[in-house]
Amino acid sequence: MIWEELDRALILTELEAENFEDVMKGLGGVVVKEGYAKDSYVQALIDREKEYPTGLDASGVGIAIPHTDISHVNKSGTAIAKLTKPVTFIQMGTDDEEVQVQLVFMLAVKDPKSHLAKLQTIITMIQDPEFLKKLIEADDIDNIIEIIREKEGTL
Amino acid sequence: MKKKVIVACGGAVATSTIAANKVVELCKNNGIDVEICQCRISEIASNLPADLIVTTSNVRRDYGIPLIKGMPFISGMGVEKTEANILKVLNK
Repeated sequence: MIWEELDRALILTELEAENFEDVMKGLGGVVVKEGYAKDSYVQALIDREKEYPTGLDASGVGIAIPHTDISHVNKSGTAIAKLTKPVTFIQMGTDDEEVQVQLVFMLAVKDPKSHLAKLQTIITMIQDPEFLKKLIEADDIDNIIEIIREKEGTL
Repeated sequence: MKKKVIVACGGAVATSTIAANKVVELCKNNGIDVEICQCRISEIASNLPADLIVTTSNVRRDYGIPLIKGMPFISGMGVEKTEANILKVLNK
């Protein structure tokens, strides 16, 4: 289960960011600080986002799932940030279609094959706009974990 | 005849893993014998020939074979249409 393995240190309820680079530095910085990724992780996220954007319009709710090459990662983890105001990301699979992102799921992936089930759970969850809206309205970490636990129980 | 599908994304980490799994399931449910090659966008050319490319990133290059965007597998929107398009190519 995802919720059981969530590291509270990787959940930010109020991340202030002006642009996607601030998001990578803010949330990615925490991922590095907590030992999940190497120092090179943040810059790798920024470079990759420019080339292969990860913004998604999930039925009207803007989210992003930044991630980067496994060589920058020490161990797998999922970091979550709620942004204090929407930040412009480019939509995945496009060059220039913008999406206003409110919620970020940053994936530190060490071994994609063994994490397929978890990745799939995360992707399935973020396809539910009601779930995302609840997360955006959540005011603390306990609340966020509870919403994810509840959603996982329905899958 | 066995079909080969290349599933590619920027880093062959997250989104192509999801998309590859979806293509495998789709083929299994429709009796199509398929070989999946998951790779980075930059590695597509070296993995040709194939019957189809499914990608979750924007690809401008023409590889001379059908290319279908696998984005709906990630966003959840338009999955049925994407699956129908994939089957159309593989059932040829």
